Amino acid sequence: MSGISLEGVTKRYPGGVLAVKGVDIDIESGEFVTLVGPSGCGKTTTLRMIAGFETPTDGTVGIDGENVTDAPPYERDTGMVFQDFALFPHMTIDQNVAYGMEAAGEYTDEEIDARVAEMLELVELPDVGDRTPDQLSGGQQQRIALARALAPKPKALLLDEPLASLDKKLREQMQVELRRIQQEIGITTVFVTHNQEEALTMSDRLAVMNDGRFEQIGPPEEVYDDPDSRFVADFLGTANIFDGTVASVEDGYATVDCPDVTLQSTNPAGVEAGTEVSVVVRPERFRLRDASTDGGVGLDADGTNVFEGEVTFKRHLGSSVEFRLETDGGREIVVVRRSGLDELEPGDRTTVAIDAEDCRLVEA
Amino acid sequence: MATETPTDDGAGESGRAGLKANAKWYVLSYPLFWLVAVFLIPLSMLVVFSFWVNIPGGQYEMGFTLENYVRFLTSSLYLGQTWLTIELSLVTAILSLVLGYPIAYYLARMNRPWLRSLLLLTIISSLWVTYVIRAYAWQVILASGGFLSSFGVAVGILSEPRSFYPGYWGLVVGMVYVFLPFMILTLYSSIRNIDDELLEASRNLGAGPARTFRKVTYPLSKNGIASGTALVFILALGSYVLPRLLGSSAERTLPVLIEQQIMSESNYPFGAAMSIGLIVVVLAFLWVMVRFTNVTTASLSGSDEIATDGGSEATPAVGSSSSPIGMRIRSAVVDAASVVGLTYVVARIAGGVDSLVTTVDSSTRESIIWVTFRAYVAAAMAFIAVPLAIIVAVSVTPEEFLTFPPGGVSGRWYVEFFTDTSWMGALANSLGIALGAAILSTTIGGGLAFALDRFDYRFGTIYGTLGVLPILVPPVIIGVAFLVFFLEVGLAGSRTAIVVAHGIFYAPFPFILISQGLREIDRTYEEAAMNLGASPVRTIRTITYPLLRANVISGALFAFILSLNEYIIAWLLSLFLVETIPIEIFNQLRYSYPPTIAAASVVFIGLTVVVMTAIDRLSGGIWE
Repeated sequence: MSGISLEGVTKRYPGGVLAVKGVDIDIESGEFVTLVGPSGCGKTTTLRMIAGFETPTDGTVGIDGENVTDAPPYERDTGMVFQDFALFPHMTIDQNVAYGMEAAGEYTDEEIDARVAEMLELVELPDVGDRTPDQLSGGQQQRIALARALAPKPKALLLDEPLASLDKKLREQMQVELRRIQQEIGITTVFVTHNQEEALTMSDRLAVMNDGRFEQIGPPEEVYDDPDSRFVADFLGTANIFDGTVASVEDGYATVDCPDVTLQSTNPAGVEAGTEVSVVVRPERFRLRDASTDGGVGLDADGTNVFEGEVTFKRHLGSSVEFRLETDGGREIVVVRRSGLDELEPGDRTTVAIDAEDCRLVEA
Repeated sequence: MATETPTDDGAGESGRAGLKANAKWYVLSYPLFWLVAVFLIPLSMLVVFSFWVNIPGGQYEMGFTLENYVRFLTSSLYLGQTWLTIELSLVTAILSLVLGYPIAYYLARMNRPWLRSLLLLTIISSLWVTYVIRAYAWQVILASGGFLSSFGVAVGILSEPRSFYPGYWGLVVGMVYVFLPFMILTLYSSIRNIDDELLEASRNLGAGPARTFRKVTYPLSKNGIASGTALVFILALGSYVLPRLLGSSAERTLPVLIEQQIMSESNYPFGAAMSIGLIVVVLAFLWVMVRFTNVTTASLSGSDEIATDGGSEATPAVGSSSSPIGMRIRSAVVDAASVVGLTYVVARIAGGVDSLVTTVDSSTRESIIWVTFRAYVAAAMAFIAVPLAIIVAVSVTPEEFLTFPPGGVSGRWYVEFFTDTSWMGALANSLGIALGAAILSTTIGGGLAFALDRFDYRFGTIYGTLGVLPILVPPVIIGVAFLVFFLEVGLAGSRTAIVVAHGIFYAPFPFILISQGLREIDRTYEEAAMNLGASPVRTIRTITYPLLRANVISGALFAFILSLNEYIIAWLLSLFLVETIPIEIFNQLRYSYPPTIAAASVVFIGLTVVVMTAIDRLSGGIWE
């Protein structure tokens, strides 16, 4: 097994559109990396450059230590699962799965038959070999597409939003399944999605893309908890974002002046006073102040950030409950609490608190 | 077919820019060679020829003279006949529209799929049978002692046998008979595209059938009306066989006069000048259509209307009008012409029926309209089907002439046909030429379709128009242009010449069908194949071609059937040296009417129906 490396990869389309603006990443052998970002951010173009469907205008693509920048797709040994699966409609499932090995021309018929059976076993559909793609459900087609991509033992698995066309229940099931298979055979995998939840749950590392660039690359927890930019914070999960200016800095902490509130946040990067920044607070980090303490908005006596306001909205998310709080200054704060506590109802006044340690400072 | 041969390199490989740039021109060069070097050059030669000097006695010499044009434009005979050609074509187009609209409407709205398929197949099959056989059928019907006359005498309407042809109205009947199917199919696809829910909505809002027709169906089928009328008009303008076989010497239309100059007078320069005159008439008409309506040259070629449902995705077309003035004039023209012509007639009838029966409840009213409709459609279908049925009847009569009622059944004319060496030679020629033409036109049309689908060309639209252009040129002109070209090249009077001419003339059919197929193929199939390690050649062989097969084969079969049935081009290029079945039938019609002709025709019609059914099966009902 082997890795993938991109160095300064750039794609400019005829007509001048710059889709990918010099991205670098080294993907370890066996690693599952997700490219995530909004539509048009360049993630699919990046994947297509790895697969060889697009040629970079600049930079190099390496697979397994070999420079494949100018190699055509059929000489790259990657296995791709397409968004709409692209199972060949005029072939049976067996023929679909066997296609890659037949194209390679290195296998005997017996080897091909055995491998096809093995692959169908792997995706838990051993009995559909004689059917045609239109006789399978969406979820089954998806599994076959995976089996077909893996059958010729590719060096890397490329997944282009393969779950997008499945319904929610099936999608969650396939997320688990995909990850199980990937880990079972230990194949280097690049997964493209615009779905941030998928990105967070499936990957070893994820690369958040925006406007043709990687904003941040890292393990899901790190990217979620320690976003490098306002964009990453906002794109992954829900975030309360306070835009302001650093007023003062001391001992790894920064005091940030926002139009309606002054906050204290950790400042590990040592951002200097006067810098435009955003303070990011994840909604599940808030504590509820008990009613006896003082309310208000801003720093309290202990140096904790507090927000007093009225609950305007409540919705159940299943295992948790989301509240929206409106401060007197008109700012909306999103708070997520474990469900089953029955603490708050719309119309209640309450105060939530967040320690400076739970705040993240990113440069605007 | 050979569509994959010129494409070994490029195949959707968006990767390597250098290779791609070469492949793109490599792929295009093959169809362009035929369409430019072997099609546009003969057409240009025609223009040049029209200025050359004729030497009486079948010679001509290079030079520059306006004499040919002067002769054409100052002779009251030629101008008169030009006007007659236009008038005849207009009458044919308008009659076809009025007769065809109700049939198309009925076909599009009926509920029984099997009956619709049967009726459509009847209409479509008759469409492809050579004009020669169909004109012959009307000769049999209209001749003195023919079907109509002996029937008239038998039932006592006529006191003595009389002939209804040659003459103006006999010719009009024949023309409408031949071109009505084009009109019906064009209208059919445009009416079929109208969403049923729109009609239901109209009814739900309280509009009766007449009002629904006037306010919903008619406006939405305007485009079909415009393209159907244009198509029939252009086809009628270029028609040679019908005026020649059903018209008297007073009805010699421009194509007949052109053929006469070429084949009888051997006055090539003057024939060329007249051909240019005919092209000018067609172009002037096309200009008016394209300028003032939504009709494009692509949709005029008919096949995308006929072969796909409505031809909703227009193939590259010369610009359609969008200027405000154009729009205004356009609607004025369409309204003036077709509102008067069609709505007036049909809606008045519908309205009349409507008001007559308003006292009855509405479901009865609708069923009355529906029944009237059916009776009419039955009559019209008889008009389409009976002439060919009569040919079948003639072919099995023991007598030399068909009498009414026929006097028995005999297979002697078939025996005669299959044992006659000149008929068999003609049949072999026809099949050989059609096979060659089918292969040639499929490679040209397929190559062009592939190139335009896969690569971006600076003048892609022009190449696309070039792909449909041949079929828009009246065949008699194609024939004359190729004749002068092949005379220079030294190929005239050979089967090869006819194969090349047919191959180019019918290339638009495979071109349109294969373009459509390529548009419908999901490109990710090919990407998936290449991702799995398939080379471009392997991808085309195992993925692209199998997915495209029905379109490729249908296109080839279309070209085959059309070439098989083509007369005038083959005749002009034959220089009396090559005989095909249509030529043989035509020649025999000049002297006598042996029922062997009918037997030959039936064999030919059978062949045509078989191939058409094959196309239909192959493509899973492309008529739908």
